[in-house]
Amino acid sequence: MNMKWLEQWFEKIEPKGKMSWLGSTYEAFHTFAFTPKTVTRSGSHLRDAVDMKRSIIILVIALLPALLFGMWNIGYQTSTATGAGWGWFYCWWFGFVRMLPMIVVSYVVGLFIEFAFAQVRHHEVNEGFLATGLIIPMIVPVTTPLWQLALAVAFAVIIGKEVFGGSGMNFLNPALVARAFLFFSYPTHMSGDKVWIASGMWHNDAIAGATPMGELATGMNPSASALSMLLGNIPGSAGETSVVAIAIGAVLLLLTGIASWRIMLSVFIGGGAMGLLFNLIGYNEYMQLPFYYHFLMGGFAFGAVFMATDPVTAAQTNCGKWIYGLLIGAFAVLLRVCNPAYPEGMMLSILFMNCMAPLIDHLVVNSNIKMRAKRGKEAAK
Amino acid sequence: MNIKINKGLDIPLGGKPERRVVDLRHSATRYAVRPVDVVGFTPRLLVAEGDSVAAGTPLVADKRDPRLFLPAPVGGKVAAIVRGEKRKLLEVVVERSGALSAENGGTRRLDADSPCWWMLRERPFGTIACPDHKPKGIFISLLDTNPLAPDVLFALRDRMHDFEAGLAALAALAPVHVCQPAGADLKVNCAGVSVHTVEGPHPAGNIGTQIAAISPINKGECVWTALAQDVATMGHWLATGLYEPERTVSVGGPAARSPHYYRVLCGSSLSLVSQAQLINPAYPQPAEGGSGHTRIVSGSALGGSATQADGHLGMYDQQLTFLPEGDQYEFMGWLMPGLDKFSFSQTFLSGFLRHAEKLGVPSPAYRFNTNTHGSVRPFLFTGNFERVFPFDIYPMQLIKACMVGDMELQEQLGIYEVEPEDFALCEFIDPSKTDIQTVIREALEALRKEAIA
Repeated sequence: MNMKWLEQWFEKIEPKGKMSWLGSTYEAFHTFAFTPKTVTRSGSHLRDAVDMKRSIIILVIALLPALLFGMWNIGYQTSTATGAGWGWFYCWWFGFVRMLPMIVVSYVVGLFIEFAFAQVRHHEVNEGFLATGLIIPMIVPVTTPLWQLALAVAFAVIIGKEVFGGSGMNFLNPALVARAFLFFSYPTHMSGDKVWIASGMWHNDAIAGATPMGELATGMNPSASALSMLLGNIPGSAGETSVVAIAIGAVLLLLTGIASWRIMLSVFIGGGAMGLLFNLIGYNEYMQLPFYYHFLMGGFAFGAVFMATDPVTAAQTNCGKWIYGLLIGAFAVLLRVCNPAYPEGMMLSILFMNCMAPLIDHLVVNSNIKMRAKRGKEAAK
Repeated sequence: MNIKINKGLDIPLGGKPERRVVDLRHSATRYAVRPVDVVGFTPRLLVAEGDSVAAGTPLVADKRDPRLFLPAPVGGKVAAIVRGEKRKLLEVVVERSGALSAENGGTRRLDADSPCWWMLRERPFGTIACPDHKPKGIFISLLDTNPLAPDVLFALRDRMHDFEAGLAALAALAPVHVCQPAGADLKVNCAGVSVHTVEGPHPAGNIGTQIAAISPINKGECVWTALAQDVATMGHWLATGLYEPERTVSVGGPAARSPHYYRVLCGSSLSLVSQAQLINPAYPQPAEGGSGHTRIVSGSALGGSATQADGHLGMYDQQLTFLPEGDQYEFMGWLMPGLDKFSFSQTFLSGFLRHAEKLGVPSPAYRFNTNTHGSVRPFLFTGNFERVFPFDIYPMQLIKACMVGDMELQEQLGIYEVEPEDFALCEFIDPSKTDIQTVIREALEALRKEAIA
């Protein structure tokens, strides 16, 4: 493909002189179109082909199965609730029309803030938000008003990320900050025991539908079968319902090595172990629930695959990752079973462990420091 | 001791040198001593342009420790004194005349007065060995696992006698540890020399990896290292009094015309090699969309120094790498499947084929060049460095401690056990494109200056 003309066009419009303050914006678009021609100056003369753009785009691709399925499910839920009986394509189209404005608002608001901060700091624009901006619409109810979504995205990007210095410096997962913002600011929209099913394509009226966890919290058995929860044709946020679609993304993330298998695996082990522990206690219906139901319900799978594995906010040492993941899984199930006020425990569990991750790493690294100090003392004898 | 390294990566760089040696010792006429290659060496010139020197005559001495000097590799006339910015001394060039070297009389002992002393380097910091220090060991590696590095045993094959004499002399200074590749069968009948076996991917051949496996350096301790080929030079000098700093260097890389070995002396001019190897003799081409010009690297592709077609071999280098410059744009490079791109990660299709190699699938033809393949970002991803870093050290944490200049934390995390070259693979695989080796070098230099002050 001969793209010489585009190369030349970019070179022609490069902002200089008075316009040079637009450098970061120009750079962002230029590097999007062309991998830059910068060569190594020091150290290793060769560099690996992977970069941040490549890594983030794989994460975005991994989100697509869950997103596409979620779109279908939005229409399917409305069709079921209203008895409309739409075909599969119309179900998907309905969901697509509902989701598209949310995705656009999330990207426009988030990227605008990202560009503005990069511009002020004379930094290059970081690719991280390309994933965050897609995750946020996938983890909030489809009936969330766009202005609430815009506020949540702005809050997450500014308070959750940019005040700490931008991508790589934040300690809380920005997508979960956005969800937590909505959860605590507009609880009537976001309780977690009920979900809102869109009643129409063009207006925001909603039909209340019960989630399996909401039913359990009130002492009922979940009405959805385990198979439904696995496939995901149950009410819920767009991204979280289908464990199968999430698993496809997980396979891509693990094959490419973008996400840590240690964290992913340990979240499930932690959740499963906690579930089994509750089985042993067996005090009420919820405690007697087979442990694997926790993997199928709510945001557990989505959180384990896409949010707990966020490398910036997770523990950074290999040993720390095991501890971090195990505790996320265990706390998520603990919160679900023992705290009926918050039927969904995954979000708070991950945010809590985000805060604890530096402490875990500190302890792990400290053991290495102690080992070295001890070795030095023995050598000095 | 049998050392098995599992963490690491062999980069499949094309242009592997053939096992054929061309002797340039008698054809090359210009030789340079390069103080810039020696860490912590502040040069004081001892000669002027036009002076006659013999092989082994000191050309420059260290201002801090005048006992340390860099000798002329051959006898002849001082042809040029090359200075750079702020009159920094870059090279002292000697034009050879007559025989390669002449015997200098007197008793010969391997000490600071010996012309071979500069070949001994000290860790931590990588300076010339300080004669006052008592190292806890001297480490010699008989394998080099850098991309396209020479087979050290092949390079040494007719100098083994000198090598063993050199080992015996070193063993008189401190316990010597020699690491040989698995399968080699070196027998050294000399007290104080222990032979170890190392196997595994790069950086198994790095002296730092071997030291860490045998006896890691604690604060306050030091070890000395030398290239195996230089140990042979020491042995030859001790036996005959002739200072002939020979190096058999491997020449390779995707941009080399016919990769093979050359037998040269330290500091030899590269003009003859360049003439034979450059595909495009009109080097350097003016930069216009990266029209096939070549970067000549003295040393390995993972950390050597870029030089010119008429430059000189680096002081401690035993290979030359010819790399295509990568100064061209690539349209939507981050989105392409990337069959010809090499990545340690599995984010390109080639990453899967690399693992399929074991099943007999031929490996793709990778296109290597000097492009950074992306721009600098903060560290986002974690856990990758650990897969190519065979030390009991947390690499990301140490790099960050170096970036913020926290010396106490650097010490606690093991900065004294590493040199920049030990981080070369971390730098190579880093998706954030940080110049990690520079970060480590600057941190070590700051610590070294702190230790002197």
